[in-house]
Parts: sequence; C-alpha cells; structure tokens
Amino acid sequence: MLSESFVASTLSSAKTPTATLRDVGICLQEFQPSPQLRSTFKKSSTTTNCLAVSPSHIFSAQADKAVVHVYSREKGNQEALVPFPERIRSIAVAGAKYGDVLVLGTEGGRLILWETCTGRQVATTASHLQPVTSIVVDPTSNFILSGSDDASIHVWSIPNILSFSKPAQGRDRQPSNAPIRTFSNHRAAITSLAVGHSAGRHNIAVSTAKDNTAIAWDYQTGRVLRTYLLPFSATCVALDPVDRAFYVGYEDGSAQSIVFYRSNSAQNPLHDPSLQSTPAQVSAEDRWLPPSADSGAIKALALSYDGTTLLSAHESGKVLSWNIARRKFTASIADYTHPVTNLVMLPPNGLPLSSQDLKRTIHTIVKPRVDNSFADPAHAPGAVPAEYAFNTHILASSTQPKSRKPSQFSQALTHAYFPDSMIEEGLAELAALRQPGGSDVIRVAATSSSHADTSVPATTQEDTHVADLEAEVAMLKKRVAVNDTARHANASEVTKLRSDLAQLQDYINELHEKQEAAQQDKVQRQARKEERETKRREAWLAAEKKGRNGDAVMRKMEIDDGMLTSESDDQSDE
Amino acid sequence: MMPTSKPEVQDTYRHSFRRVAKEARRELKEDNLSFFYNDLLQRLEPVSIEVAEALSSVCYVLVAMASTTLRAVTHRLTTTPVDQLPSIAAFLAASLSDCAELLSAPQAQKPGKGDSDHAVQIHKLKIRLASLLQDRSVEGRWTAVVLVKATVEAGQWEILRGYEPIVRGLIGILAKPDPVSTRKMCIITLTRIFHLTYQYPTLVREITTPHLPGFVTAALNLVSTLVKLPSGSSRKPKPNTPFMEIVLHSILELIPRHPTIFRPFGTQLSSLLGDILSSSSQVYYPEQVLDVAEQLFASLYRCAPKDKSGHGWNDECKSTIWSAHRAADHVFRAIAEQWESVDPTLVHTKQHYSKELADPSADALGFPGWAGIHAGTDRLVILLRILSEIISLPSAATVAIPLGSILDLTSRLTSVTIPPNGEASQNGVQFNPQISRDERELLWAELPRIHIACMDLLAHVVSVLETSTAPISQNILEQVTWVFKHEKFCREVRSASYDLLSSVLKLTGPAMTKQSVASVASVLRVTCHDLLPQFEDSIAAKAQTDPKSKSKGGQGTANADSFLDPELRKKQQLKAGPQFPEVQQAASGLLQSALAYIAPELLAPSIRAEIDRTIILTSNKDAMLASVLNPIPAAKGRGAGSSLMPFLVRSYPEQMEVEALVRPRMPVLMSVPELDAYAEMEEEEEADEMVDEPFTNTSQTTSFLKEPAVATAGAQKTEPSAASVAPLQKRTYFEETPAKSHSSPASEQQPVQAKKARFEEKAQAPASVPAYQPTKVEASMVPKQVPAVSQAPAAQATSQLTAGAPLPVDDSDDELPTLNIESDTEDDDEDEDEDVAMEG
Repeated sequence: MLSESFVASTLSSAKTPTATLRDVGICLQEFQPSPQLRSTFKKSSTTTNCLAVSPSHIFSAQADKAVVHVYSREKGNQEALVPFPERIRSIAVAGAKYGDVLVLGTEGGRLILWETCTGRQVATTASHLQPVTSIVVDPTSNFILSGSDDASIHVWSIPNILSFSKPAQGRDRQPSNAPIRTFSNHRAAITSLAVGHSAGRHNIAVSTAKDNTAIAWDYQTGRVLRTYLLPFSATCVALDPVDRAFYVGYEDGSAQSIVFYRSNSAQNPLHDPSLQSTPAQVSAEDRWLPPSADSGAIKALALSYDGTTLLSAHESGKVLSWNIARRKFTASIADYTHPVTNLVMLPPNGLPLSSQDLKRTIHTIVKPRVDNSFADPAHAPGAVPAEYAFNTHILASSTQPKSRKPSQFSQALTHAYFPDSMIEEGLAELAALRQPGGSDVIRVAATSSSHADTSVPATTQEDTHVADLEAEVAMLKKRVAVNDTARHANASEVTKLRSDLAQLQDYINELHEKQEAAQQDKVQRQARKEERETKRREAWLAAEKKGRNGDAVMRKMEIDDGMLTSESDDQSDE
Repeated sequence: MMPTSKPEVQDTYRHSFRRVAKEARRELKEDNLSFFYNDLLQRLEPVSIEVAEALSSVCYVLVAMASTTLRAVTHRLTTTPVDQLPSIAAFLAASLSDCAELLSAPQAQKPGKGDSDHAVQIHKLKIRLASLLQDRSVEGRWTAVVLVKATVEAGQWEILRGYEPIVRGLIGILAKPDPVSTRKMCIITLTRIFHLTYQYPTLVREITTPHLPGFVTAALNLVSTLVKLPSGSSRKPKPNTPFMEIVLHSILELIPRHPTIFRPFGTQLSSLLGDILSSSSQVYYPEQVLDVAEQLFASLYRCAPKDKSGHGWNDECKSTIWSAHRAADHVFRAIAEQWESVDPTLVHTKQHYSKELADPSADALGFPGWAGIHAGTDRLVILLRILSEIISLPSAATVAIPLGSILDLTSRLTSVTIPPNGEASQNGVQFNPQISRDERELLWAELPRIHIACMDLLAHVVSVLETSTAPISQNILEQVTWVFKHEKFCREVRSASYDLLSSVLKLTGPAMTKQSVASVASVLRVTCHDLLPQFEDSIAAKAQTDPKSKSKGGQGTANADSFLDPELRKKQQLKAGPQFPEVQQAASGLLQSALAYIAPELLAPSIRAEIDRTIILTSNKDAMLASVLNPIPAAKGRGAGSSLMPFLVRSYPEQMEVEALVRPRMPVLMSVPELDAYAEMEEEEEADEMVDEPFTNTSQTTSFLKEPAVATAGAQKTEPSAASVAPLQKRTYFEETPAKSHSSPASEQQPVQAKKARFEEKAQAPASVPAYQPTKVEASMVPKQVPAVSQAPAAQATSQLTAGAPLPVDDSDDELPTLNIESDTEDDDEDEDEDVAMEG
C-alpha cells in the first residue's frame, strides 16, 4: 500500500511526555494515509539540523555532546555511539540514494566527512569562523553547502575532499579540502539552507539568515538570483519539489510561502537579470497563521511527496500540516511534548521508484577509524591504500555498463511458458526426428487417421519409398559394376592364355621343323653312307679286278671317308 | 463433407463465428457459452488447426471465462492424438497461462459447485500431464514439459503442491535420449520449480530437498563425466555438449537459493568450472558459456563448507586478486615493472628467464598451470572477469569489497602500456634485457586485452559503488586516460574507455576540476572522430589529391565507379565497410555525459565546437538536448553563445522533450480554484464514463453518415464481403459481377439498418444484463475480422482503406455490420442449413 512517513527528532526538555514517548528522541511517524506513530528510537536529543536519515540508518548529532548516535532502521535499535573530537552542530548525508557518506559540521567551523561503509574519515580546513549550523548536499551528491553563524556559506566539492589521488594543482590553487566557493551576501548568521531538486548545472539554493533575508542563488556560480526581504527572521526553509516556491517558518509559529513565479512569463523569473538586483519585499500579512499562539517557533519544515502539504515542526512539540493551495493550517499531525527540532520526509513506500531502487545496502556501519591507516602509502602518493575496503551487502546484480544481452535461459525462466523461439526450435527438432527414422514413419502413418495431417505422412511415405528405390538402384548399379570388373578380368585372362597357347604352338612347330630337319639330315647321311659303301665296294671290286690289293684301297678310302664323315658329322651336329 | 479448399474453410469459420457471436448476445449464460465453445471445437476438429486456434482465441476473448478454457484445454489434451500435441502445445500453454487466476486460486475453501468442478478439471489436467510425461512417444513428453511449465507459472504454489511425481518424471527425462529441446526445456522447467519453491518451506521439504540433488546430478551428467579420485570426485566437461550453457545457468540460478543442497557438489563444480575457464582441455567454449561459468565460479563461495562460509566471499576475492598478480608476474616478465604494491603482504613469484613463459603449477583458485603468453593472458583476463562478477553478483551477506587491492591490481596492469614505436622508456616502460624481443612484442600484442578487462572491472566497481566512487574516481580517471593515450588505436580499448569514462562522468562530472577535464578532453577528440561518418567522397577526394594512390589498382577501380555515376558522388555515400555499433554507442554515450555533466566553462571552446559539430552530423538527440541545456557560457565582450536549439527542433520536432524544452508550460504553483477544478474534473470523468456509450455511438453514426462523401471507398470496402458471401447464396460465378453492382448500394443500406438495430440493443443491454459490455465485444471482434475477408480482395481493400480514410479503426467498425447481419433471419436459417450440410 502506498504510504508516506517522516522522521522527527526532538530536543529533550523539562516537560514530561506521556508513557509511550518517554525517553524517545526520534519518532518515525506515518503521515499518509493515517497519521500514527510507527516506531521510536530512544535516548536522543538533537538541535535543529542535527538529524540525518539514510535508507538504512538514522544519524543524530547530540545536543551539547561531541557524539553522534547511529540507529539502525532495519533492526530498530541504537547501533553505535560515535564520539568526535568536537561538538557537532549539523549533519547531512551525502551519497545520493545510498547515503554512504555522513557530513558533519563542527563547532570549530570545519567539516568532517565520514564514509560509513569504509570507516574513512576526512576533515576539511576550518574555513568557517563560527560553528557550522546547517548543511545540505546537492542532488548529484557532488557539492556540500554549509552555512555558519559567521554569515557565510561555503560550497565544497565532495570528490575533491574525498579523492585519494589529488589532481595536480596549479600554483595559486587552494588545497583540495578547502571550499571551492564562498557565498557571503548575508549579513547575519545563517539559519537554514535548502537546495533545489535539479541535477543539472542551474540548480538553485535558498538560504535564510537572521538579517531577515532569504536569498535564492546559484551555487555553481555564486550568483544571486533573488533577494527577499522577509518580515521577520526565518528559522527554517523548505523548497517546492519543482522549485517553484519556497516556504519559511518564523519564530511565532507562522509559515509563509514565497512563490518565484509572479507573472506568466515564459522565462524563469529567477534568471531574469532585471529582477536579480532588486530585492523583493514580502509582506507580513501573507503569513499563514498557526491555529494557536502557543504553538511556538517553527523549527523545521518539510514537504509531502506531491508538494501539496507542508509540515512544520514546532517548539511546543507539535507537528502541524498546512494546505499549500489554500494557504492555511489544516491539522495537527502529532504531539511529541518536547520541542521538535528536525523533520525529514521519507520517500513513499509502495511506489516503484527506480531512483530509490537500491543495489546494495548497509547493515552495519563502519565506525570511523582513529588510526591513520588510510593515509597515502609513502612510496606511491595518491594510491588507494590496501586496507581500503567497502563494506556492503550487494543485493541485485548491478546493471552493467554494457548491458548484458538477456540470455535465452533467463528469458525462458520467467516466461509464462516458453518463448516462441524455443517452441519453434523444439517443433523443428521433433519434425526432423520424425523424418529419417523408419519405425517412426510407420507409426505415424498407421495413426494418421485424422484428415488434417494426412498430407504429412503421405509425403513421408512417398519419400521413404523413393529412398528405398534409390537404394535399390544404387545396389544394382554396384552389382553391375562388380560383374563388369569380373568380366573384364576373365577376358584379359583368356587373351593371356591364348597368347600363351599361340606361343606354345609356335614352339611346337619350331620343334617339329627341327625334328624334320634332323630326320632329313639323317636320311641324307644314310644315303651318303650307302653311296660311299657302294663306292667302296665298287672300288674294291674294281681294284680286285685290276689285281691290286683291294684291302689297301679299302683302307685308303676308309681314311678319306673317315675324314669326310667326321666333317659331315660335324656339319650335321651343328 | 470435408472442407478442403480455402474459401470453404473460411465459410465455416465465418458461420461458426457468427453463430457464437449471435448466441453470446442472446444468452449470456456461462453454460451456454461453454457449450458453444466445446461444440465449436468439436466441429472444427476436421478443419485445419490454424483456423481452430484463431477461432478459439476469438471465442476465448468473447467468453472470457477461465473455467471454460481450462475445460477445453483438458478436453483437447485428452482427445488429441499424442503425436499431434506438439503443434497445439503453444496454444494450450497460452490458454493455460490465461487461466492463471483459476489455477492459483486456493482450493481449501470451495463452497460453490463451480469450484469443485474446477478442482476436478485441475486434477484431470495434472493426471494427464503426469501420464504424458511417462508417454512412450517423444512428442508426448515434449508437450508435457511445455505444459508443466505453463501450469507451474500460472498456478504457482497451488499447482506445485502435489507436483512431486511430476518433478520426478521431469528428472527422469533428463536421463533419456530425448531431443535436445525437450531436455533443455526440462532443465528450465525444473529450475523454475525449484526457484519457486524457495519461498515456501513446505514445498522445499516436499519437493526441493528430496529432488534437487537428483536434478543436479542428472544435469551435471549431461555436461560432464564423473571422475573418481582418491581425494574426492571431480568432473571433466564433455566436449561439444549442447547443454553446457543451460545447465550452468540453471545451477547459477539455484545456488543462491539452496546453497546447503549444493554443498556436496562444491568440489565437483569447481573442478568442472576450473576446466572450462582455464581452457586446459583444448575445447572451445562460446562466450556465453564462459560468461555464465565465470558468474557461477564467482558464486561458488556460497556452497563452501559451513565453517568457512562466513569468510567465503572475502577469501575468494582475495585469492582471485592474488592469482591475477601471480599470472601478471609471469606475463609481464619481459619488462621491468615500475609499480610497487601498496599491499606489503603481496609476494612475487620467482622467474626462470631461461625457460619458456609458463606457470606449471596450480594457483590459489585451483586453476591448472598454463604455458605460453597467449594462455597467460587468457588466464589473466579470465581472472579479472571473475573478479568483476564477484563484486557485482548479489552477495549472501555483508562483504568488504577490497577497493584498495582492486585498484592496486588495475594500476599495476594499466601502468604497462605499449611504448610508441617499440622504443623503451618513452612511456616509462623499461625492458627486461633477459627476455627476447619476440616475447616482448607478443606481450605488446596481448596488452590491449588485459587493459580492456581492467576497464571492465573498474566499470563494475563504479556501477556497484555509484556515488561512493568519489574517493577513487580520480585514480580511475588517471588509469583510463593513461591507457587510452597509448592504446587508442585499438577499437575495443576505445569502446571500453568510453563506457567507463561516461559512467565516471555521470557520478563526479559536475565537481571535476579543470585539470581532470583537460585530461578527458583528449579522449573526447578521438570520440568525435569515431562518431563522425566517413564519406566515400572524402576518400575519393583524398585519392585524387594524392597522385601516388592512382597507381594502386584497387583504389583506381573504386574511384572509377564514383566518376562514372555522378549521382553516387552527390549522395555522399557512406563508406561501405564493417560497422562498429558498440564503439559508436559508447562514443555517443560519452559525448552525452560530457555535455551533461562537465561544467561547460571548463571545456575548451575548440573541443566543445567539435563535439557540437559531431552531434549535429550524427543527429544525436540526447546529446543535442544536453548541449542545449548546458550552453556555452557567454564570454565577455562577445554576444550570447550559439545554441544547437534550431538543429534539435529541426531534427526532432515531434519529440516530447523537445517540445517541453522549446515551449515550456510549467504550471505556476497551484491556487485554490485549480485544486477545486481538479475535483470537478474527476466528477466530470465519471460523468463521461456514464455518457460514454451514446457518445461513441453518435460518433460512429456520424462517421458513417459522412461515408457517402467518401463514397467510392465505402462501396469498394463492402465488395469483398459481398463477394465472399456470394458462394453461400449459391450464385453462379457469372451472376456475381452484376450482383456486385446491385449489392453495393444494398449493403450500404443494410449497415444503416444494422447500426440502428444495434444502437437500440446497446441502449437496452446495460439495463438487462449489466455484466455484458457490447463495446468490449465489438472491440475484440474488430481486429479478428480483417483477416476473415478473403485474401485477394482483402489486400486491395486495405490499400483502399488507407487511401480513402485516415482512420483504419473506424473503417473496420463500419465494416462490422456486414459481418454481423442479424436482422435478416432468412440468412440465419440458411446458415443453419449450411452447418448441417457441413456436418453431413
């Protein structure tokens, strides 16, 4: 449910409150929808501007003591009691929505910055001559405005004060923990400060002082935008959420709204140079008077989230609400008996505000370290010391500078069922699964009695048939190829055999011829032998006839013959 | 009769549709509606599924009653053959998620009859899903997984109670050789179930505690193999598994919620992740897998043994930083580092310069050793990325982010940059003479990767700390500008620097000093150069002026083209080439932050002019807005500074922020009458609601009466519907053409009748049946009618519609009566006959 609350702190006084509020110093009160006390924190007594609220903690600087009480909003108890060397006259939280840095204004006129997550503590120069009574931090958490009883307002740069590594300074530059600008248009002690809600370069600040003035000025340049001469000295100031007006509270318990816009001109009158030099007189009759005179001075002012209701904290212990549009008192919200000195509105619960979305939270603050361990290491000036650690509880995965692409998984995990891409992928896979497997096809074909799907199985059936045929063809082709090769092999064998045969026949023929030749030779030799025989016999006969020794002739002839035969034999042998 | 052709299907559609619409008007009782719904579903069984889907979604909107839908879903789920279920699974799941109210309604109190009926339906659904999960067919299981997820999302606690058997079935599927998608979806569904049980102790006891270990084992088995070692079991990743990413995601999702259950898997997981991240197995893992593995590794400390879990985060962070230092010791051995650690406890590893660059032993995180400079850089980058994840993932408790050590590490890594021209000592880098030149040059090549990882780490730091970055922002700025100065040639270094710088500027820009701005300014110049479009023309011009380039073949031909086509040159074609959207995006983001957050008086006028020129040329709206809102301060002696406002208004005249900027209408602080006016306005609004219907009706009728003025368009419009009605009335095709000309005036007359009839009905309807809202029915019907018109004329008609009348919504409204003819009863009877014929 949407609800809006505020934190109020009181200064203990002689009065005795009711039993429920005994000892209570800080109250967390629901304002809308129904005003009622939600929780309380005890043992605190604060003066004005001494209460600071972060998302996890409440800090209250104690009146007349050099101590800051730290209360845990989560646990609802007092978490720590932090002593400081000087009295603290005003505090504020810096660090935008996290409130990691506590800014303390001391009695001696310096600021102390305490990083509640690391325990580091940095002090500035004592630039104020009087106690620092009011501190505000701008929406970007880059600048601190501090007002003092010495009538000056200093503007400080948080990064400059906190930075380990000091940027190189020019010759004539101040040390980095000195104010970067001073606003000294007020003539008396500063009572209250308010800063505009812009994160841009032209943000405004409104300051009130005891010289009965309120000045709207540009803290980035120190330029005065408008001076208002108030009927009385304002004790506190609050700015409209859209910076259209500011509200001041007076000692007599009355409040007043001062609207920047008077005419319908398109130009912001604050930036109209013709008006900047002339102070505007604010009439005392325009005040919104409190319901009774005994309500006491307004100590603090706060505005509701929608900017339509003004809350005022009074010395009498009452918190009153005012209708801004009707310009009058509407109701009394609470009564804490003791003077209410601070009023801090909390951001509403139940609105999905991205600006209030915390990526981390602090459960326990780290007390300021007294030792000087965060000083620069001797060998490396400007380096961050090794002990410097940031204590926090990381809640949500921080949005990275390069926003990571949401993965398929994270999309699917929180989808109502599954993203379309995933379903399609699955369907495709199922379809693919159905195609090649033979058994699947048969099963689908058998069950596809439905008309809607007949085409699909039919085609698949055909497809498989074709595939079968193709396989068969391929097989046959292969077989033919095998046969072919076999036949080729046979043929070549045959031809080889044939050629072998022919060779053999040739050889046989040759052999035959040789044999014939040998036969003929033999026959011729026989014939010659017979011829010689007959010749010899004829010669013997002739010799016998002539009366010579036929034998001698025979022998002679034999020798001749022998030579002859040997010759002829030799020839035949060849 | 089975519908085969398109027109007939459409006829069926139209008939059924008309019937439902009519009946719904006549009798608004739930039972009747559900009867018609089921009747339609049965009738449409033979018609194609698309039509059925479309029609049932139309019917669903008409009926708007979850119980009917639920019954229909269960009916379809039980009657449809299993192998056809996947095609309607998405539709069924969508229907289920639409009856979320019913499914998540507590069943403890069930006073009414209807409620018990719902319980029966839900029970039926659960039974069917459980049996489908066990189905023999792949399709059945696939559908079951999809629908289980849908019911779980819709029903949450009510459904999860008693889902124990289904969880068991789902885990069983993981072990089966089902399709990849089934198993993937199964993992997601189970993760979601365990994710949802987290908040409810009863469900944790019933489902998570008994089944989560089984799921983790099954999931890990999908991606890895278990290796039993004497010291304990470890897991080796399976190469090439499609499940790696999804399993790691799932475990990453579950570890923070059920850390105790994951405790036994701690060592297995770390060995598996160690293998993946150290890439020791020579397997390539895609970027997403590495990404999720890093995140998972960074959250492993949650399942550390109980006695250590308190310090787990801090220990893991510390050992990651130490491992990174150790890897850097090896990788950077080619140079003599000037850096000195701020942490005196850090010990450097001894080097053997004679050996090849390698770290043979396992480091503090248990990653195995590596060899070679590329592997070393890989390791360093992975460690830096793990560190980024550690500091950005949600932590279990309060942790101490060691900013000092992190910045110490990044300052070490960024202090070494590539020396210009490879010369030593120009940027303070001193070479180690014991190492060869080759290795040194390899190191130069690897350096940009290391620096990109450093800058990503710093970007994570900034993103976590936000405004608390202030103490260290100056250190970060120095490191970035240093690296940028020496390595701006690398595109990714530029991109990472732009991102980091712009996030730092957002936080501490307003308070930046002149010196810091000056150091950023040099980066801004390069940024402008990155963003400015490169024109073909300028290249051509360059080529022309340079005579030497003419001799080069490639450029010569490119120029020839631009000479040949003078149009091409006129158009100033953008240089074709690879686009780098990341760099451009980062660069425009940086320019925008620079304009918005840096004090304009600190930026040198020349740079400001360059930036303004760039954002005009790139039409960067946000940057132009930032420039207009932070104008150049008027210098003394000169006139007012120029503003980009004309450019902004010319380029984006219709944007709201431009309007708000140029014509501010900030309301003055409200006064009393205004407040009262606000209250009156509310009353008026109520009154408006009261008279809303007559008002819309009159507007409709008036717009219709104007119709004759737009005559042709109106006549044309009615044609398609007349044509599609024609076959119903058994006209022959030849008669149709003359019939058209007759029917168009007739159908113009008809709407008037119908409109009037409807008018009366509307006047009566709220009185008789308050629950029934005719306007709503109309609205829901209108968009569905457009596709009902047959295709060819439809295209024609729509084109005419856009041409003839500016408001398409009105047109479809006017078209409505022709589809809604209820005054003529004969037509209805015909319809009935037709329907009977259809069934027969």
